[in-house]
Amino acid sequence: MAEYANIVRRALGQVGGHGGIRGLLLQLFRVNDVKTGTLVGTDKYGNKYYEDTKHYFFGRHRWVIYTTEMNGKNTLWEVDGSMVPAEWHRWLHCITDDPPTTHPPVPKKFLAETHQFNVSGTSQQYVPFSTTRKKIHEWVPPKVGSQ
Amino acid sequence: MLRLPTVGRALAGAAKGSLAPSNTVRTPVRAASNMVEVFVDGKPVEVEPGTTVLQACEKVGVQIPRFCYHERLSVAGNCRMCLVEIEKAPKVMWHTLIVWQPVAACAMPVMKGWNILTNSDKTRKAREGVMEFLLANHPLDCPICDQGGECDLQDQSMQFGSDRSRFSEGKRAVEDKNIGPLIKTIMTRCIQCTRCVREIAGVEDLGTTGRGNNLQIGTYVEKMFMSELSGNVIDVCPVGALTSKPYAFTARPWETRKTESVDVLDAVGSNIVVSTRGGEVMRVMPRLNEDVNEEWISDKTRFAYDGLKRQRLTQPMVKDSSGQLTPSTWEDALTRVAGALQGVQGSEVAAIAGGMVDAEALVSLKDLLNRMNSENLCTEELFPMAGAGTDLRSNYLLNTGIAGIEDCDLLLLIGTNPRYEAPLFNARIRKSWLHNELRVALVGRSVDLSYTYDHLGEEAAVLQELANGTHPFCQVLSSAKRPVVVVGSSSLQREDGAAILSAVSTIAQNARTSSGVEEGWKVLNVLHRVASQVAALDLGYKAGVEAIRKNPPKVLFLLGADAGCITRADLPKNSLVVYQGHHGDVGAPMADIILPGAAYTEKNATYVNTEGRSQQTRVAVTAPGMAREDWKIIRAISELAGVTLPYDSVDEVRSRLAEVSPNLVRYDDVEQANYFKQANELSKAVNQALLAAPLVPPQLTAKDFYMTDSISRASQTMAKCVKAITEGANAIDEPSIC
Amino acid sequence: MASTAATRAAVGASKVVKPIFSRDLDEAKRRVRELYRAWYREVPNSVATFQLDITTRQGRDKVREMFDKNKHVTDPRVIDMLVIKGKMELQETIHVWKQKTHIMRYFHETETPRPTDFLSKFYSGHDP
Repeated sequence: MAEYANIVRRALGQVGGHGGIRGLLLQLFRVNDVKTGTLVGTDKYGNKYYEDTKHYFFGRHRWVIYTTEMNGKNTLWEVDGSMVPAEWHRWLHCITDDPPTTHPPVPKKFLAETHQFNVSGTSQQYVPFSTTRKKIHEWVPPKVGSQ
Repeated sequence: MLRLPTVGRALAGAAKGSLAPSNTVRTPVRAASNMVEVFVDGKPVEVEPGTTVLQACEKVGVQIPRFCYHERLSVAGNCRMCLVEIEKAPKVMWHTLIVWQPVAACAMPVMKGWNILTNSDKTRKAREGVMEFLLANHPLDCPICDQGGECDLQDQSMQFGSDRSRFSEGKRAVEDKNIGPLIKTIMTRCIQCTRCVREIAGVEDLGTTGRGNNLQIGTYVEKMFMSELSGNVIDVCPVGALTSKPYAFTARPWETRKTESVDVLDAVGSNIVVSTRGGEVMRVMPRLNEDVNEEWISDKTRFAYDGLKRQRLTQPMVKDSSGQLTPSTWEDALTRVAGALQGVQGSEVAAIAGGMVDAEALVSLKDLLNRMNSENLCTEELFPMAGAGTDLRSNYLLNTGIAGIEDCDLLLLIGTNPRYEAPLFNARIRKSWLHNELRVALVGRSVDLSYTYDHLGEEAAVLQELANGTHPFCQVLSSAKRPVVVVGSSSLQREDGAAILSAVSTIAQNARTSSGVEEGWKVLNVLHRVASQVAALDLGYKAGVEAIRKNPPKVLFLLGADAGCITRADLPKNSLVVYQGHHGDVGAPMADIILPGAAYTEKNATYVNTEGRSQQTRVAVTAPGMAREDWKIIRAISELAGVTLPYDSVDEVRSRLAEVSPNLVRYDDVEQANYFKQANELSKAVNQALLAAPLVPPQLTAKDFYMTDSISRASQTMAKCVKAITEGANAIDEPSIC
Repeated sequence: MASTAATRAAVGASKVVKPIFSRDLDEAKRRVRELYRAWYREVPNSVATFQLDITTRQGRDKVREMFDKNKHVTDPRVIDMLVIKGKMELQETIHVWKQKTHIMRYFHETETPRPTDFLSKFYSGHDP
């Protein structure tokens, strides 16, 4: 009986942890998953990082709730894994146990000031191009104005 | 070096005749036949006296290894690779039987009864020893050597060399020399064969310094080695000491595909081999043709191939509303051309053929325009139409032939610089001057022809004096046994071209009558500068664009016309210019519609050289992009314009060529033309005064030689040559690799 | 047996050739009919096995077309050879050694016709 009560309590806790029914549904529709845990930190873009080692097994015990607007892009429905900045990426993927809130990252010149997310599939994506010499150089007709 | 084909043939005939009845018994050579009998590895062979051992062996089909010996160069005998053992007829000299005597086969004339052993133990040992000495100072850099795979030393050391060397000393090293942008020198590889030092078709710039181990090939002082035939030392060098600079490290001989073709950058029609790899021309090399280029080619022929890869027209273009040429499709461009042709009268259509157009394209364009009721077909090069004009074929050919120069004893050049207009023709003249004591005289601007000549003056008036017989040189001319008169096509471009041709014709006719030479001998010759001219005149094109200037057409078709004879200023405002060709040079920017054609390495085409010899090029690479063979484009236009030409394949075009002018498809054959007397009589009707201006050929110095047509103007190598000549070899910074 | 075969061959043709299977045209035709029947029965199986997007009727029409293509052949040796080839194809089909694309190749759906007249050849490429 106590087990069932525990489940009900956790379910109610989910409602409370996400800011009511509305928040719960929003979270459910955004990432198809609802979890509550302790808030470890928030990065400057507004992504929130949570941890719960008690109820979830290793690998699912750290997660992020993405921000709704990042780098000028509306990310309410279009969330992407590459929105996590480098210093939180280490913690989130268990490369380290020290979150950047307690252990601020050593400043390196290669660390980006503002985090860029993945541009694949956008107009800024990298397209490979041939670097070999052309076999035939074609004639380019003179521009009209230049004459 | 001595070429005596007629004598040789007569002797061979006599020998055959005299020996025919007594063939069973091996008789000593008859006195009448004058032949020497020798034995090569026991096989008897009859040779002329004075034949070298090497030539005698070649007659039986035995190849003797050699480095310094070259058929077309004088004999040096310094490499010693051709050592053979001679087993003499038993001979006692000073009471001693001479047994073993190694003999350099290239330099030793045969004696009666010698038995030449080309594969005996002693011969092989001698070769092995020589090879060991040669390799003692030769670097082992075959893997990075450009000659690798076609190197005489590599081949012969594999075949005749020993597998080890007894030399443990260090190798000699020689400093490389910068001798211009065409030839790369790696002098450490030199084996001192001195082939490059001996005169190659008139080039005597290289020499040797030092003796023995210190012998070096070079130019004595640091200077450029740039003549119009300098590239031939690359072919002549048996090792990788002299290689092609543009070709360096680009390809290996075994990975290239070779296509036998013909050069079209001058009117000589040198026979070439085009090496291609992966649809790209890697280099151009000469092909043997005794009647045209022997085994040499000019530097333009050899090195201008990179122009085939630059400034190419690869897709059809049309002018849009703003007047900008924009890429288009074949359907669009051809429909526009056909529509324009349909929209005008026949007399309002004209065509100009350029200097590198093949006979197939010429005939199809002529057929197309004739079907449109137009006769306005011109070539860019002028030729006087007065008198016999182009009606008599003998009037515009190099009738004597290029090889015919070797039989003549007096040559009169008029208003031409054959050294740069036709380098291989000049090489023949030099060869004849060197070996046959040919006397050369020149009317026109005095230029360096690489041999001595009598300069008769610059003015055209000299021609008048020569024709009248008042000039002092006329005595020499009349005493000549086999005179030849060559007039350059450039001097016929002048306004008084007809008068010049008339005077030259009279000079030739007078020289002919005074010499009393046999009927078949031709005196009058015209030396053309562009490859298409003879074919165009054979097909009935009008020479010169005067008619178009007088009567400007509404539609002008430029077929590879890049000389800039007609500009936009000569045409009415609303006229349509169609350019069909392979390079964006002079003609393409003024065109409204551009149709990309194929260059000479990209089509099966017929070209007729200045002596009237028709030869064909072969497809070495496919035309780039959407470019098509020229006759196909014209055939496609004709179909869209509703006057379909009756040929679909190149064979059908050629049978049409044969209908118009059968000599155009008799390949590698010279059709004789012989109406000199009539032509001369007709030319007397020309009453045009000679101008006072001196006869100055357009190509005076080496600087003018390199860039003369759309291909060589697009070539970077040729641009480097011009720069090197004007500013010195050091002006060109080459990346120094190796 | 051997002698009768020899005589029959001699009657049929003046030059005696070694038969492959059939001694005369009738026998060869019998073999062709057998093969046709086998193919006819196999078509519905193939359509099911390979999940072909055609009906059985279409498949049988194609089989008929393939047989009709060689109906001018009268030499029993040639017919035998064609039958052998047809049997090989059939075996490959039955055992699913072929794949769907190999079957559909009989229908030439993806092949574009080569240009025949000058102008379309000119438009389509360098030397078609």
